Amino acid sequence: MKPQQLTRIWPQHETVLLLFIIAEVTYFSLFGRRFCTVDNFTNIVRHSLEIGLLALVMTPIILTAGIDLSVGSTLGLCAVLFGKLWRDAGLDPWLAQICTIGIGGLCGACNALLIAQMKLPPLIVTLATFSLFRGLAEAITQGVDAFTDFPESFLFLGSGQLGQLPIQAWILSAAAIGVWLLVHRTTFGRCFRAIGFSPEGALYAGLPVRRQLALVYVLAGLVAGLASLTYTARFGTAKADAGTGYELFAITAVVLGGTRIFGGVGSVHGTLLGVATLAILNNGLSRLPNLMNIASELSGIVTGVLLLLALTASALPHWLKANQK
Amino acid sequence: MLAVFAPNFFEPQPLLSRLASAAPKLVLACGVALVIIIRQIDISIGSLFAVCGTTAGLAAAADWPWPLALLISVGVGILGGAINGLLVAQLRLPSIVITLATMVILREGVRLKQQGVFINLPEGSQWFGLPMVLGQLTLCTLAVGLLLIMTLLLKHFSAGRFIYAVGSDEEAARLAGIRPRLVTFLVFITMGALTGIAALLNLVQSPQVDPNSGRGLELEAIAAVVVGGVAVSGGRGRLWGVFLGFLLLICTSPALTYLGVKPYWEKVIQGAVILLAVVADGLRTKKAK
Amino acid sequence: MNLSQSIPGQIPLLQLSAVTKSFGSVSALKGVSFDLQPGEIHALIGGNGAGKSTLIKIVAGAHSPDSGSIKIHGHRVTQLTPSAARNLGIACIYQQPSLFPDLTVAENIALRLEKIRLFARVHWTNRRLKAVQLLKLIGADISPDTEVRDLSMPQQQLVEIACALGSKARIILMDEPTASLTHKEQERLFALVRTLRNDGVGIIYISHRLEEIFAIADRVTVLRDGESTGTTPVTETNPSALIKRMVGREVSTLFPPAESQLGPMVLSLRGLGCTAGGVKNITLDLRAGEIVGLTGLVGAGRTELARVLFGITPADTGEISLNGQWVVITSPQDAIALGIAYLPEDRRRQGVILEMPLSHNITLASHQRLFPRNWLRHTTEQTLAEKFIEDLAVKTSGAVALGNSLSGGNQQKVSLARWLATKPKLLILDEPTQGIDIGAKNEIHKIIRRLAKEGLAVLMISSDLPEVLGMSDRIAVLRGGTLAAILPRQCTAHQVMSASLGLKEEGVGA
Repeated sequence: MKPQQLTRIWPQHETVLLLFIIAEVTYFSLFGRRFCTVDNFTNIVRHSLEIGLLALVMTPIILTAGIDLSVGSTLGLCAVLFGKLWRDAGLDPWLAQICTIGIGGLCGACNALLIAQMKLPPLIVTLATFSLFRGLAEAITQGVDAFTDFPESFLFLGSGQLGQLPIQAWILSAAAIGVWLLVHRTTFGRCFRAIGFSPEGALYAGLPVRRQLALVYVLAGLVAGLASLTYTARFGTAKADAGTGYELFAITAVVLGGTRIFGGVGSVHGTLLGVATLAILNNGLSRLPNLMNIASELSGIVTGVLLLLALTASALPHWLKANQK
Repeated sequence: MLAVFAPNFFEPQPLLSRLASAAPKLVLACGVALVIIIRQIDISIGSLFAVCGTTAGLAAAADWPWPLALLISVGVGILGGAINGLLVAQLRLPSIVITLATMVILREGVRLKQQGVFINLPEGSQWFGLPMVLGQLTLCTLAVGLLLIMTLLLKHFSAGRFIYAVGSDEEAARLAGIRPRLVTFLVFITMGALTGIAALLNLVQSPQVDPNSGRGLELEAIAAVVVGGVAVSGGRGRLWGVFLGFLLLICTSPALTYLGVKPYWEKVIQGAVILLAVVADGLRTKKAK
Repeated sequence: MNLSQSIPGQIPLLQLSAVTKSFGSVSALKGVSFDLQPGEIHALIGGNGAGKSTLIKIVAGAHSPDSGSIKIHGHRVTQLTPSAARNLGIACIYQQPSLFPDLTVAENIALRLEKIRLFARVHWTNRRLKAVQLLKLIGADISPDTEVRDLSMPQQQLVEIACALGSKARIILMDEPTASLTHKEQERLFALVRTLRNDGVGIIYISHRLEEIFAIADRVTVLRDGESTGTTPVTETNPSALIKRMVGREVSTLFPPAESQLGPMVLSLRGLGCTAGGVKNITLDLRAGEIVGLTGLVGAGRTELARVLFGITPADTGEISLNGQWVVITSPQDAIALGIAYLPEDRRRQGVILEMPLSHNITLASHQRLFPRNWLRHTTEQTLAEKFIEDLAVKTSGAVALGNSLSGGNQQKVSLARWLATKPKLLILDEPTQGIDIGAKNEIHKIIRRLAKEGLAVLMISSDLPEVLGMSDRIAVLRGGTLAAILPRQCTAHQVMSASLGLKEEGVGA
């Protein structure tokens, strides 16, 4: 088969994902225990909020051909600092929440400074802050301290319900609409793509490349701060290991959703489908009677394999074309 | 400074133990240095380390001869490196994402298999059957020997020079007749093999295999490498620098402990050290322009 | 060295017959024949874009010709690759050194000379000795242990020369080897080149400096628009005759007539300079409705000047006045806000974003103006894009087509549309018609004329002499980063070329 033909029949990410999600739901409904229930779907939504949020803000980053490995660590650091602010500094919970989001923003600004201003490679910068932020969280709690007994008003953020839907559904929808508008309906989104396709082209078109790059990383920090709050509220405790490994899930969701790892191409709705794929898979595995005990390991493995498959699939047409010459 | 504040740091026995237990890290750092010189990255080595150790442990527990089990560790490492290398060099995918995926797959794979259960190794598997002190000495010698071999390879064999060439300018390398993809692939294989060897050096130190071993090792190794003066922009760096970086880092945590800093700060220091090294490198290249 | 095979006039070292090469719709070489005898220095001259570099790259194996034959040492060669060329004894000194910045000089030389094998001992002392020997041979005061990144451009050039000499090549291609050398180094190089010639080596020597050619070459071939205008021994010609052959045809009447009225002053530069960009002391005025052609040889600082005006490498000395007000431009955003538009030289990398739809490309530089509060308006965008597509007659399936689905000329129109959408006062065009077929070229010329008539001030950078002469109201010639001459519309190609080359006796005062 000629590579051109292959590229043409190479299916759209979104379509494949939808089919995959349908297959997942069918399979788990048939074989899973109490999978296809309203309660369980509520559960899926509750559990996928943080990864969803992180994946949403990872989308513009990858659109600019960057990456942020530090989002999970930022979440952990923010969670711990939130506990610290509320319990030890005696701040009003609301004020503490606002401060936490601000701290997230600071973490993001730290990445932004190094990547946008100093033009250092995002992968190594965020790899370092990945270690730095997590380390700070551990150092602050001495590895053991955990914050609990949060007030009811705060815990509402984790277990509350607004109307018929869990609070998480509302937050996720709001964030999704916000990021969707940013990426698909504003000039910012246009700039992200231009930078991802061709940084030099974006510069010569007079786009404020540095400012746009800074924006995506700060946004990721702010949202990671928000995610730390919902995470803490959901579990009722703030520990240093909050959000460990979430960067993988976020990146996988984005790549599964059809965003090209080299930047430029991608969509927020694709990312949401990616998040749904992972969330359903995660939940479904834990509902299968014979796999229940090993579900968390399995979901990690499957996520990693999915990421590799998605990347390989996206690179394969290009590879075939290059090797045909 | 260390000697002043912590006089007992340099007592021979604890020092030897410390060095022996750090020897695997040195081996890993050598590999990571190659990977960074060729302008790639590998964060899956901590997980691969655990996989290698566990596989060898399982083989030994299934009554395979001990030396064969150790060879299996290396073999598994090579296999892991080959998978990373294939995806990175052939499909030209970004190594950070590829190795992030393999990192989690391998880590969760070990957890799935072992559920955190330690594997008991056969009698006499420790220290190559030697007395402890002699074993520790052998271990350190082996690690340093490997370092020397790698230094030799990097400095005095064309393959090593090609790593620098590709990391310095891939297109110029292609024009000079070097095959950049092949060299990248071989570097990842070497990284895998060294991970296997590091796991081996770790195995012989204890009567059990910890399936959780190797967590965060990738960052320790990367920190040692960038502190040792290897540029993340590729093409630059020497292994003796890495050796110094390694010595500095293994001294840091005990030094800090003696100075009253809690060990929880270790990750912070690692992160900060990597950042500083990268910023310094960035400033230097900017100046050069 | 082996002298036995080097009897001049026998089998040519290199023989090209009717070689053609085109890139897309543009033909770079239209059937060029060329030969190189043993023990000969054969100069190759021609204006920018005449096809010299393409010819060199074909011989070095970096490009393969579309048709025609190449004979080396009398044997027909097909499938010439860089390594095959190297094995056939061809060495090339490119204008832009392609060295490894992180490796030492000795190693850079060694990687060019040694056979590429994955597992071989590296003999550092030999490498070093070889490097010392070669560097000494060319009289370069460079330590073999320096890293190439620490070398200046001329030093890197010397290392390239050392590589070529060390390879014991029988055919050496030199593309502007003296461009950045000092007088002493140049003398040394000439002495060396003469020694090589006496040893029977054939040298193809490209230079813009005519005096060099008369000093060193045996024969000279002039290329023009991808065609050879013939080969002559240097003793039978003179600089004036060569320039005539480089310029060739008279300015064609294809260019649209000038009919614009000059308006108020738009741009005034007073002693403008930028150390990082290599531009110094430029004083130039530009009125509304005027087209000023900016020309000069490669490296004369034309694009660099444009980059200063557009804020990519901001000026550090001198003043810029726009519409009668002194302004400071530190970023492209500043420049756009002030009404400056810059159509960059490298269309594919800097101009059109190939993977983006045309409509997005066209609005990319005018977000501020078109989309208040950063909200995209698809209808506005679509209408604007369609208007420009119609206005500039862009051949495309529609505004949603991707940039890479268009031909070069149409891509250039889209790039132009992007800048017209910003409603500029000053339009800087950098090689607007380079690599574009003749039809589209004509259309673009008409558009430029129309824009000037509508009151736009146009600064047109171009290497294409007929274009500069046919389009410009005045011609500014740059040389070595500064203004060499400002010529009136009625000047001749001969005058422009002389000013570019720095030949005083031919030049016309500014």
